[in-house]
Amino acid sequence: MIEIIDLYKTFNKVHVLNGLNLHVRAGETKVVIGRSGAGKSVLLKSIVGIIQPEGGCIRIGGVDVTKASAAEVNRARRHIGLVFQNGALFDSFDVGENVGFVLDEFTALTEAEKRARVAHTLSLVGLSGIEDMMPSQLSGGMRKRISLARVLCMQPEIILYDEPTSEVDPVTADAIQKLIIGVRDRLKVTSIVVTHDMNTAYKVADSIAMFYHGQVIADGTPDEIRSSRHPVVRQFINGEAEGPITDDESLKFGHVK
Amino acid sequence: MISSRLWPKMVSCTAAVNGFLRYTGQLSLLLGVVVRAALTPPFNAYRFWAQAWRTGPGSFLIVALVALFVGMIIALQLAYIMIKLSAEIYIPNIIAVSLARELAPVLTALIVAGRVGAGITAEIGSMVVTEQIDALRAFAVDPVRYLVVPRFLSLALMLPVLTIFAVLVGIFGGFLVCHFKLAISAHMYWTMVISSLAVKDIVTGLAKTVFFGMIIAAVGCLEGFNVKGGADGVGQATTMSVVRSFVLILMFDCLFTFIFYFLFNA
Repeated sequence: MIEIIDLYKTFNKVHVLNGLNLHVRAGETKVVIGRSGAGKSVLLKSIVGIIQPEGGCIRIGGVDVTKASAAEVNRARRHIGLVFQNGALFDSFDVGENVGFVLDEFTALTEAEKRARVAHTLSLVGLSGIEDMMPSQLSGGMRKRISLARVLCMQPEIILYDEPTSEVDPVTADAIQKLIIGVRDRLKVTSIVVTHDMNTAYKVADSIAMFYHGQVIADGTPDEIRSSRHPVVRQFINGEAEGPITDDESLKFGHVK
Repeated sequence: MISSRLWPKMVSCTAAVNGFLRYTGQLSLLLGVVVRAALTPPFNAYRFWAQAWRTGPGSFLIVALVALFVGMIIALQLAYIMIKLSAEIYIPNIIAVSLARELAPVLTALIVAGRVGAGITAEIGSMVVTEQIDALRAFAVDPVRYLVVPRFLSLALMLPVLTIFAVLVGIFGGFLVCHFKLAISAHMYWTMVISSLAVKDIVTGLAKTVFFGMIIAAVGCLEGFNVKGGADGVGQATTMSVVRSFVLILMFDCLFTFIFYFLFNA
């Protein structure tokens, strides 16, 4: 369903994506883990076309979106929803307008039909009846769920989650994890979830890929990743301060250990 | 041989010229994209009117205040010299012509650049920082069509309207001084004002404001889209938006004045 082949992206001479390869099957939830700056969010933004990669290709349903025309890319985007890390809600709109944004832009539904769709979508994320609230009145967890509702409203085939459980309390994180699993099971969507949080990764993943130096160094089921012998993977999943990742950074930045 | 003191100045001067050319290039490209988007469907009247309402009626009070005081100040300054020449009867003519041709268009543009242009930069800059622009793109919504076109059209349309209003209020300000301080009758004042204004004075004054409106919108949006960093970046961009709009408005005003001068007086 999603094929990332030999993808390159450089920022300020740093290869954030360095020949990255990743395959996500239809209906699968692929969790992407890795250090901050490993290129996880860049990958998501490249898939939706916000960032233009310098090389390689991104095939979605067989169409290479890096080489497609603007109209083809826009058509593809309407089947892909990106749930932003901080929600990226439109702060001049209330919750109802945010969730129904895509309906306003791309459908000819009547106001009553839109309101019904928005109410239904809000109920899916467990936030019924808050259509009139403004984004500034919402907590971090609510913003993330509204962001997901906004994406669900467009009935996408692919959902990309950028750090869905960062900066929320463990209870809210669990609710969001259950939402991701529920959306996958009910709507049969293909998902890529970017996270640092191993608890989230193990709970929602069908498979986990680890990014390091702009490449995938491990890709497997949660059990395979949990039992990986790769020293970089082991240090990351166990959250250890000492190991090959930090040794590498000490060399790179000249830290004194 | 270039002296070691002169060389750094030449380098910084070249960099400044280079920066100015790059900036005007960016503005021109944005203007091109905006014009193309504005002329091709789909059109959204609601977003246009929402922006027009913020730009026009929202600026009426401040424009009226400034125009009233400017009209009164011109009348008083002119009275100072014209009374010595026994030519105070011509003060209404000078007030009307100077307001219609120059002061009302430029002052209105500067007020709107400070009030609306800065607001546009702050709004779009905040949207950049909080990834709202990325969200628009992710939903296949073109940010230029969605954000820039309504602001561009509303400013190009509302600035002439505000300028007409400023001319009228400014002339009224001049009337207050002429009537109550210089004892020029109301009939005489308004007769002199109407007789002094030619169609070309009004047309040249208003034609400029359409272009000023485009400058304010383009600079405000471009600075907003170029925001980097957080709140600090938004603050800096807002300041730069006002400064650059002011400079460009005055620069193009000078250019237009030259063009109109040679067009109508050659």
